[in-house]
Amino acid sequence: MSAVSIVNAAAAAPLQVVLPEWTAIAPVLILALTGLLLLTIDAIWPGRNGNTTFAFVSALGSLAALTVTVWYLVAGTGQVGGSITLFSEAIVVDGMALFFTAIFTSVAALVVVASHDYLAGHENAASYYSLLMFATLGMALMAVSNSLATVFVSLEMASLPSYALVGFLKKNRGSVESSLKYFLIGALSSAVFAFGISLVYAVTGSLLLSEVAAGFDDGVAGFAGVAGIGVLMIAGGFAYKTASVPFHFWAPEAYEGAPAPISAFLSSASKAAGFVVAFRVFSTSFMPLLDATPAIDWALAFAVLAVVTMVLGNFAAATQENVKRMLAYSSIGHAGYALIGLAALTAGGPHNGDVMGAAMAHLLIYGFMNTGAFLFIAMVEYWGVGRTFEDYAGLSTKAPFASLAMAVFMFSLAGLPVFGGFFSKYALFASAVSAGFWWLAAVGAITSALSLYYYSRVVKALWIEQPNGNLDAIDSKPTGLYAAVIFAAVATVLLLPGFPIALETAEAAASALFA
Amino acid sequence: MVPAQYYLLLSAAVFCIGLFGVLTRDNALYFLMSVELMLNAANINFVAFSLFWGNLTGQTFALFVIALAAAEVAIGIGIILVLYRNFGSVSVTDAATMRW
Amino acid sequence: MSWIAIGALALIGVGIPIAMMVVSALLRPSVPEQGKSATYESGEIPTGTARSFKFNIQYYMVALLFVVFDIETVLVFPWAVIYNDAVSTVGLTRALGPMLLFIGILVIGLVWAWRNGAVEWIKSPRATRRKTQKQDA
Repeated sequence: MSAVSIVNAAAAAPLQVVLPEWTAIAPVLILALTGLLLLTIDAIWPGRNGNTTFAFVSALGSLAALTVTVWYLVAGTGQVGGSITLFSEAIVVDGMALFFTAIFTSVAALVVVASHDYLAGHENAASYYSLLMFATLGMALMAVSNSLATVFVSLEMASLPSYALVGFLKKNRGSVESSLKYFLIGALSSAVFAFGISLVYAVTGSLLLSEVAAGFDDGVAGFAGVAGIGVLMIAGGFAYKTASVPFHFWAPEAYEGAPAPISAFLSSASKAAGFVVAFRVFSTSFMPLLDATPAIDWALAFAVLAVVTMVLGNFAAATQENVKRMLAYSSIGHAGYALIGLAALTAGGPHNGDVMGAAMAHLLIYGFMNTGAFLFIAMVEYWGVGRTFEDYAGLSTKAPFASLAMAVFMFSLAGLPVFGGFFSKYALFASAVSAGFWWLAAVGAITSALSLYYYSRVVKALWIEQPNGNLDAIDSKPTGLYAAVIFAAVATVLLLPGFPIALETAEAAASALFA
Repeated sequence: MVPAQYYLLLSAAVFCIGLFGVLTRDNALYFLMSVELMLNAANINFVAFSLFWGNLTGQTFALFVIALAAAEVAIGIGIILVLYRNFGSVSVTDAATMRW
Repeated sequence: MSWIAIGALALIGVGIPIAMMVVSALLRPSVPEQGKSATYESGEIPTGTARSFKFNIQYYMVALLFVVFDIETVLVFPWAVIYNDAVSTVGLTRALGPMLLFIGILVIGLVWAWRNGAVEWIKSPRATRRKTQKQDA
């Protein structure tokens, strides 16, 4: 714990600077101010192509939010001496919220830096960056939501800018089409989600997570059916946000058609955002339902979904010819792995914290490696090389460092024992086994082995196959994209020695929810 | 007072009508209207059970749902407009350059 | 008991127009004529069909802005209802401040849309020509 500062007034020792309690949501406020600042700048000087200015401001804003978040995490804000709740408990700041905010802000910073090159020559740079900031703001709010009302509002705040971002290339038919599909399924699932919330409200009479839990504690005898349908519908809303079965089918389309930096953003940050709310809602509110009479076994539902998601995502990825689409399906598969964090929960189980913490750590590492992989694709799109495995052949002769980084991402995503991805998967499967769900771990291990096949195809194309003459188009070095890809690779490698710290933080944060 | 079950039945019926519209229409605008119907089914529940439980949470949240629905429609209409410009129709089945 | 009154009102409300239509259908002479079946456009002669007619895209832009800002008022109403009580319990700053912040955020959005031409009415070449002709005359 740092001696400099602690935000929690209750745990403050005499020598420490005590910040007022509302500063606990400073990361959220910084993101909001950054977005508004971008709009203000563009309103004062409209029509000027300020791509660099806007990218600089947004990168600065997301990095500032990241710094504050990491500082809070280290200083123990909301962790030492209990979580901090604001706005009559509608907002909570604790270890899990800060952990995930760190993921969102770092992914946002990487995406902003990469977008600077990708957007060169585009109009409306201000709307792009401000939408990106507002989407990140929505995700950061999702992480601190402690009431179904804030959950729903922040989920929409993250979704609405995402729809616009996916369709940002207004004259590109693929972009528009994927935006439409993303929007239609998003609108449908948010309606389902709202209806689920209304049913839970009907049974418990409150939207605050703690009071919902208390309401379920009292028993759902007369309303078991209503409560069950409500919980299932809420799970459906999360399945959409995390791109897992049964609301997964937007993901390949949206990721393929969207501008590649946005695909990176959605598949890493947006997915993690879906998981943080799902983790919080199910572990705080719906735990009593697991051993209520009659029991509503949502953990079993998640277990089935996790298995189907892992199998479907990985098998579909193995059949793809388009690299971006392959990564999209693999990201569905990874949603399946993270779902183990919910599926392996049991009522009062001693391993609940470990399982969920391992899933959180996996999402952290996944955030870096998957963002990096999609940003590499953004770079290839920027060069205009092509989209299939054949088009990627021999890229290492032209871009050795980026190709090396891509190899790191691919092997890490596959879970080879030399990169961060291995440890997070190992911790996840090991905790699932110790919680008694060996079959989940087995399915995960088998599908991981399968994933090695399609990930190594990319590496083979990049490093072993000969270029087939389409690489002459590569004549420029996009500095920002390069920097972002290399940084993501460095983070993926550094998380190898740093993994115990990440896992420890995550497990402490997750265990606090079950305490 | 009308029993709580009646409200649940009403909202479930409205929700199912909306769901039916979502599943059967291929015009994107009809799709939007059907989704609105589903959101309003949730609003019926919120308002009804706000009365049932005697707190204002549900009514307040219904207002938020209305506001968010409007925002969603605003984004949706924007997307449908660019869809029309690119594909010359507002049918969700015409936009199929990628595999579904 | 109150349901009976409502039911009676509904019955009469539906019944009167139906009765009027039935009676007039029985009494009136039938004189088919082309002008009667034409669309009524306040005296203008209708051109084209209703389906092929296209609105200027800018109607949608303005309508979108209207929808967003109009709906935000649903969040202002509850605030306005409890405003007096809130001022007496938590003070002016805490009652007024959040709403000012909320409106301020909306204003930033509106100003941005305005400055970027969302509410600018681009005139079609024909309209501009007509206007200059009028000025010349």
